[in-house]
Amino acid sequence: MSDGISVGLNCPACGGAISMAEGENVVLCQYCSSVLAAEGDQGVHTVAFKNKTLKDAAMGASQHWWTHGLKARDLKTTGKIVESYPIYLPFWKTTTRVAGWVCGYEERRHTDQKGNVTVERIPKEVMVLQDFTFSEIACDPGDLGIRTMKNFMGETTFANFEEIPTFESTTSKDAAATRGLNDSLAKARANAHVPQVTLDTLKAFNKGLTLIYYPVWVVRYNYRDRMYMDTVDGVTGQVLSGRAPGDPLFQSLAMTGGTSVGGLIAAAGIIYAQSASDMRIALGAVAVGAIILFLTYRFFRHGSEIIQGEFKEKKSIASALKQVQQVGKALEGLR
Amino acid sequence: MKIVQVKCPSCNQAIMMKEKDKLFYCDKCNVMHIREGGAPEKVDFEIAEFSPKAQGEKVYMPFWRLYTTFIVRSKNVEGGTIFKMSQWLKGGSDSGNMFIYIPAAELDAGTFRKFSTMFTGAAPRYPTRLNFNNVRRLPGTLPKQEAAQLADFVVVTMEAEQPGVLQKLDYSLTVNDTKLVYLPFVMTPQGPMSAL
Repeated sequence: MSDGISVGLNCPACGGAISMAEGENVVLCQYCSSVLAAEGDQGVHTVAFKNKTLKDAAMGASQHWWTHGLKARDLKTTGKIVESYPIYLPFWKTTTRVAGWVCGYEERRHTDQKGNVTVERIPKEVMVLQDFTFSEIACDPGDLGIRTMKNFMGETTFANFEEIPTFESTTSKDAAATRGLNDSLAKARANAHVPQVTLDTLKAFNKGLTLIYYPVWVVRYNYRDRMYMDTVDGVTGQVLSGRAPGDPLFQSLAMTGGTSVGGLIAAAGIIYAQSASDMRIALGAVAVGAIILFLTYRFFRHGSEIIQGEFKEKKSIASALKQVQQVGKALEGLR
Repeated sequence: MKIVQVKCPSCNQAIMMKEKDKLFYCDKCNVMHIREGGAPEKVDFEIAEFSPKAQGEKVYMPFWRLYTTFIVRSKNVEGGTIFKMSQWLKGGSDSGNMFIYIPAAELDAGTFRKFSTMFTGAAPRYPTRLNFNNVRRLPGTLPKQEAAQLADFVVVTMEAEQPGVLQKLDYSLTVNDTKLVYLPFVMTPQGPMSAL
């Protein structure tokens, strides 16, 4: 459970400097060998990561980010940084141990040459004894596009607190702890890979709850009279989230290419199916063509702005694939 | 967060230790205590004697020994049977009383599973002694309450180790009593080995 997070304290017996790691409530004083215990807040620690990224480095990381992906090609030359400043964002971080068994079975369907379907039931029992980490932002992130911590390693200090604006924690620690437990149980169940569960004895134990203040650079920039923003990790110097202008050329190329490829696949499938007298090939080809068209449309529709990060309204690939699955199911229903 | 110096709840002597341990032992008055809720709580404990044949680096490993009542309401095993339950339970059949041993030291998953099922499946018998005789104690990290919650994990683990694939086990488990037990081990290149 070593993750580099600890907090500095003083020994009440000798005054010597001691540090207590996250989740611990007992520490030994290296000077007088006294055993010391944390009391009062059930071991909830508050730590702050040191801001190690300088202003120039944060701006450089932003400008480097502009050149990647399907962003406007002239962003690097036309974009202009208006301001950049660091802030401290609060995060809850929980460590949870999950122990127990997940038992059940998996069903595998086999179809023979005559079309007869047989279902094979494979019993499964999986032991879980594992620690899980969960994090979530402890305030309203607004339009920053940051909801979870990506990095848990770094030097901790409160030295930057005087000079960097700090967002206060506004969410409940008990609610965060509960979400941490539920998230860990869900991850453990998913990792067990038991599709049909008949016995679930999983139990989650809270091993630590920490309030972490994490430094983030906010970089605002201008592109063709429109304002955009991205954020840079104050510890690692990597871009965490941001919005950037897309490129109309990429949108047009995608539209042209996507419709052509999708149409050709569908047409080729139908022609081949007629010669092979197998309508399943035609339906499959039409489905593939429709999926390509759908993805093309999505890129054309949302490609005017490239979004990276955990925005609420972000149209992720996962949500697009979900929609594709729904389209696929609808097509299956038509068959 | 308030930091306090840990003192014995019996004689008020400051506790000194070389290793970070959540089980606080006062060698002056032979009292063990824990501080899970913040306030000190004395713990009933016993120390097992090493076998005279034990050779090598000796250590004491802490276990929470739970005296439990286990009631099985229904069960189902695919390709096997639940046949060990009646061997552990005092009272026969699928329900009765049993001792469950939960390692309190920080162990990897495999070692935790091995020792918990080994001692629960065959309860150790040993002569006891009054002190640790300067033998190193492995630090205790598992709280008593967590040990109680892990009791059914051990029982289900023992069942899952039997032939067949466990599919259903409807049961209830009540912890009647908890005692801290220090069992003797010798350290080997393969890990700790029981030295009873």
